Amino acid sequence: MNKVDTAASSTVIKNFFSQTIVLAQRSLVSELRQLATVLPGLLFPLLLAFTYTEQFERVLSLPGFPEVDSFLDFLLPATVLQMVSFGASNSGTELALDIENGFMDRLLASPVARVPVLIGRVAGSALLAGIKTVIIVLVFLIAGAQVSSGFAGFVVLTLSACLLVVVIGGLSQILAIRSGSQEVVGATFPLIFVMIFMSSAFFPTELMSGWFKRLAEFNPLTWVIDPLRRLMIVGWSWSDAVTALGILLLGAVLVTGGSVLTLNKKLGRP
Amino acid sequence: MTTQTFSKAASGVSLSIAMAVCRRGVLRVLSRPTLLLPIVFMPVIMLISFTGAFGSLTRIEGYGSENIYDWMAPYVALQGSVFAGVFGSASTAEDFETGFFDRLLLTPGSRSSILLGTVLVSAIRSLFPTVGVVVVALLGGLNLSGGLPAILLLAAASALMASVFCLFSLAIVYRFKTIRSLMIVQLVAFTSFFMTIGQVPLEFMTGWLHQVARFNPTTNVLRFARQGFLDGITWDLTWPGIVVFAAANIVGSVLAFRSLRRIGS
Repeated sequence: MNKVDTAASSTVIKNFFSQTIVLAQRSLVSELRQLATVLPGLLFPLLLAFTYTEQFERVLSLPGFPEVDSFLDFLLPATVLQMVSFGASNSGTELALDIENGFMDRLLASPVARVPVLIGRVAGSALLAGIKTVIIVLVFLIAGAQVSSGFAGFVVLTLSACLLVVVIGGLSQILAIRSGSQEVVGATFPLIFVMIFMSSAFFPTELMSGWFKRLAEFNPLTWVIDPLRRLMIVGWSWSDAVTALGILLLGAVLVTGGSVLTLNKKLGRP
Repeated sequence: MTTQTFSKAASGVSLSIAMAVCRRGVLRVLSRPTLLLPIVFMPVIMLISFTGAFGSLTRIEGYGSENIYDWMAPYVALQGSVFAGVFGSASTAEDFETGFFDRLLLTPGSRSSILLGTVLVSAIRSLFPTVGVVVVALLGGLNLSGGLPAILLLAAASALMASVFCLFSLAIVYRFKTIRSLMIVQLVAFTSFFMTIGQVPLEFMTGWLHQVARFNPTTNVLRFARQGFLDGITWDLTWPGIVVFAAANIVGSVLAFRSLRRIGS
């Protein structure tokens, strides 16, 4: 009896992963087929980084600004997170499109489990974010930026980008399930963009004042960006690596759970 | 005589279609509060973000204003109007995806009335962020040395900016018929705004950015909209803005109308 149970759960797990991989492939292919809409998400953060570098050079002399050779060094984590913010909500937009055109109903009527339907899409976006992070870091290195923590820091930065996609993508999926509208999901993109500005991404919290400073300090993105930045400009630290990845992993688990619950609620299942 | 009467009637119908499209667009926004999020709250949050994050810029000698709200409020209001323009065309993209736009094309009158109605919605939508930004900036400590004329000038600039970006977005949407294609316009919009005197004066910029911002048409738009918030309204800062608005609206209209005319042909 136990053997039968074990075999059954083994099959379930196998199916779960194979379904997730197939749906992740579908998501990735969908993204790559629309390269014209994927590229801006890579080019814009780079453009913004180089613009800010030319714009804020005088800021480096302000008391309280971290010691860096160039504003570009300071901006690397922010640029990666901004790139993520561009592509992450695509999984929600695609889900809303599937709901609008009825594909979601057909998918749910098939023997596919509910969780891979959600995770598969986000996994495809996460993989793409990892590739884009590699490109961004290479461009920064060519432009003269430094990664003080070396290859280990680069790996942490890449994993952070992938996990952040899971968090933002999961949130956009919750919105897609609740609203069923691409327009609504697309309209929230600027909000994520602003969340980055309300953090320490572009300016250190030491140079902020009043309630905004406190808001930025309580923004979870600051908790992720600050350790990532120290890895980039100071050097390797286990504490910084674990902090950045730990927060994002916790967020990913919570949001994925939330999106599964929202889908079950929508379908009238306990 | 009969042709003239028909022509007058047709143009009347076209105007009524434009107004109907406009009314539908406004009701659509009011009936779906989630769509108000990027239009009103987003620019307000951007104002708070930029003034909060970059407030220390005023400590640097040579910055354009001692009050960060005077510098950032017009910039953010104009960015909000760009969102209003782009999201105005997002509704059209959704109409394509649901098939409603095909039915709209079957209505009597010229296609330009659909275009006009959508642009009008965007211009009206642009007033939401402008009012929101000015109110929040006043609460935050905006000086507003130019008084009511400064606000009216900003409102006019916002409406014109929304119509420009709505037209360019429609040129894309009529061609690709998807919301995702608007990412291209968003990129152009953000780029044109960031490579300008939005956050810092021209003197702060170095290298290639200094030259780009100097010749970026959006710089003149910002000077036009911001002048009442800094030193008062002058003709020298007004006419270059008018030229940019006129040229951009004409080019946008031509591109959007050409894309619209090609649908189904």
